[in-house]
Amino acid sequence: MGHGRPVWSARATFAVGLGLWLASGAAWAQDGGGWRSAFDLLASGPELGGSDIPRDVPARRGSDASVVPPEVMARVLTEEGPRPVPTASAEGPVVAPEAPDAAPDALEAGRVSEPRVRLVEDAPRPPFKVAPVAVAVVPGLLLHGLGAWTAGDTQTAKGLFAAEAIGLGLIGAGLVPIALTGASRKTIGPLYAVTLTGAGVFSLSMLANLYAVTSPAFDPGRVPDTLPPLELDLGYQYVNDATADYRNFFALGAVARLSKVQLQASARLAPDEGNTLIRAGAAYRLWGAPERTLGLDGDGTSLDVEGFATYHRYPTEGFTLGGGEVALKGRYAMARFGPRFAGSFVEGGVGVSAQAYSYPGRVDDDNLYGQLLYTFGYGVWLGRGGPLRGEAVLFYDHRKDGLVGGLRGRGGGMVGSFGLKGRVLVTERWGVAAEAQAGGALMGRLSLVYAVGGDT
Amino acid sequence: MSGGLRALGLTAALLLSTGCMRPSEDRAVRDTRVGRAEADALKVEVEGGLASVRTLASGTLELWGQAPVFTTRVTAAADARTDWLFTVHNAMPGAELVAVDGAGSPLDVVALPDAHPTVKAWRVALRPGTDMRLTVAPPDWDTREPFRFAALADVQEALSKVGDVYAKLNQDPSLRFIFFAGDLTEFGTREQLEEFQQRLEADSRIPLYATLGNHETFTDDAREYQRLVGRASQHFTFHGVHFSLVDSGSSTVDPLVEEALDGWLEEARDAVHVVAMHIPPLDPIGVRGGGFAVRNEAAGLVGKMARAGVDLTLYGHIHSYYSFSNAGIPAFISGGGGAIPERFDGVGRHFLAVDVDPSAGVREVGLVRVD
Repeated sequence: MGHGRPVWSARATFAVGLGLWLASGAAWAQDGGGWRSAFDLLASGPELGGSDIPRDVPARRGSDASVVPPEVMARVLTEEGPRPVPTASAEGPVVAPEAPDAAPDALEAGRVSEPRVRLVEDAPRPPFKVAPVAVAVVPGLLLHGLGAWTAGDTQTAKGLFAAEAIGLGLIGAGLVPIALTGASRKTIGPLYAVTLTGAGVFSLSMLANLYAVTSPAFDPGRVPDTLPPLELDLGYQYVNDATADYRNFFALGAVARLSKVQLQASARLAPDEGNTLIRAGAAYRLWGAPERTLGLDGDGTSLDVEGFATYHRYPTEGFTLGGGEVALKGRYAMARFGPRFAGSFVEGGVGVSAQAYSYPGRVDDDNLYGQLLYTFGYGVWLGRGGPLRGEAVLFYDHRKDGLVGGLRGRGGGMVGSFGLKGRVLVTERWGVAAEAQAGGALMGRLSLVYAVGGDT
Repeated sequence: MSGGLRALGLTAALLLSTGCMRPSEDRAVRDTRVGRAEADALKVEVEGGLASVRTLASGTLELWGQAPVFTTRVTAAADARTDWLFTVHNAMPGAELVAVDGAGSPLDVVALPDAHPTVKAWRVALRPGTDMRLTVAPPDWDTREPFRFAALADVQEALSKVGDVYAKLNQDPSLRFIFFAGDLTEFGTREQLEEFQQRLEADSRIPLYATLGNHETFTDDAREYQRLVGRASQHFTFHGVHFSLVDSGSSTVDPLVEEALDGWLEEARDAVHVVAMHIPPLDPIGVRGGGFAVRNEAAGLVGKMARAGVDLTLYGHIHSYYSFSNAGIPAFISGGGGAIPERFDGVGRHFLAVDVDPSAGVREVGLVRVD
């Protein structure tokens, strides 16, 4: 009952964490003289997978070091031999001098992104400033490069402005023909995909803008070096759909990581109402390091083709859905876009599904209903090389089936759902997975994850 | 303090969740108030909300009919005036008024000349201090003769040329009324809805019974529609055939509406039943996803209608013509009222002519091109 005991609620924890982050002044750490915030010290501690051994000491705020863009410094640090000195001109951008006798291979080796981004992660990172964060929100949510531009990172700003422009352009390139063709059955599929791609690029550049200016405040997560060959999860899922009777579900799941193949299966069982969802399938990695050695052999960038089969029984509503789907899913490590984005990634997927409904009794339906599958999201890796490893993703899902469906509204059911999901192994064996999603229904899930098998 | 914050948070979460998850709940609640008014010592209630009250003042009761047959219950206070002008817009051609008091004794009624085929007016001598029933219906409303009606949807921005559609409809004298599946106007403003009604009254010789579309919800969540036209969801019978108009303008059917539909399905279990709604539960072109936002809700709804023996489902929203089936029920999408047409489909503006035999079911659904 908690009598005589102080109540330490989640709200209080959140408030303290937020306060530490926002109000953390520079602290003098015992690491050789660098200024580090209280949040930095906490975030880089072993409790959250960091190390007590100081990493690169961030430049003291206000020092001249920040005039050298991180991209340039990263390139300098990756090159072999004596390091040339970056030069700055009064009018132009800071540039790294080219080695006069550099062979093409050496230049190639200077790329930020290949084969991994650790060098970038270890490079000096830009200092955290409050003003760019504020600007990144207003008006940065509309002008996506503004946060980075305010932080003095014009290269990143240009990239984000370009991404926003491309996103808007694709939205226009999709929506205008859709309007002109009256959403014709002959052209709607590809036009819809173009529109959603535009919406994805626009949304992700908006989130990237926010990440770019907030990431200097913390030590970014790293791609897990390895992931277990088998993970099992068991948890509880709550669904609130105004038009359905089901609410409570057992949530079961399994992921098996083979070399290039990943097998997945999940089940949602409503013990009181009987609703049963079973989904199983496989993903084949076309490009990128296998999941088992994700961080050892790559930077998290990947492209998969996947196929799933679904069985969904609705006893109260009186029908059963069966179907299959295929999709391409990709993930891109944002560190390739710039060091401000280290620790984050964007992902997206496009595919189609075909489903049929069967009804008991004399009702007969021989239709096969197609569906455009489209997802995009912005995520971060959790953990920094310790046992804690995982990821969290803010995402959009265009699908209208499942327990969540699309947003109900005046637009006529065109929009899918939005959500936040995370999965993290806290120890070598145990972890948690959680997700929250809002579409036509509200859904929340919390699962305990058990890893079978160790590192490679 | 902590308890207060918790309550505040819970309230906010509740409001947020219900607001997002039941976008048409308010409309369903407001539906129950359609057809009710009180003024001038007179209390008026249209049974089933099958007409909206346009005017109740100074001895004038003016309604917009939303069904071929409807009854208005009138309660006159002791000080109510006796001489009333009773006007019904959007009435069936040839509709008559039967007015009786609570004891079944007829009231004095004088029919006035028709200004338009679908506008009827009568002088009625009400009896103060009594309850009365005013029933408006065509003479043959309760026979079981086969009849034909038109199905139409999605006029929207083509309002200025909707007269072409009515002209084509007028060419078929066997059509009794238009069964309209939503999107009368572009934005559902008062001006647009009034223009729709004026054009209908001026150009069409038959009435139009509608549900709203998502475009009507663009203005004040369709409050103007409910004031000027009527209920978003309703049910009536004609020649023994049941007609249900269901509000799916927010790509869902609110649980309150579904509860009402359950009753209508039960009532029509042994009769011919035609159901119309604006947004189809399932778009036959799945990648377009022009149906309900949650497919599971859609599948459950069509399954329920199939089990209840619904004979025909009619939809709009998609500006073309589709003939398909959902859960085995014959289904038609006919969004040919003139809104931006679907290209490359070979179908322009059109409506459907539906032949119904109350004893046998839906006989034929024909496509009638306007252009």
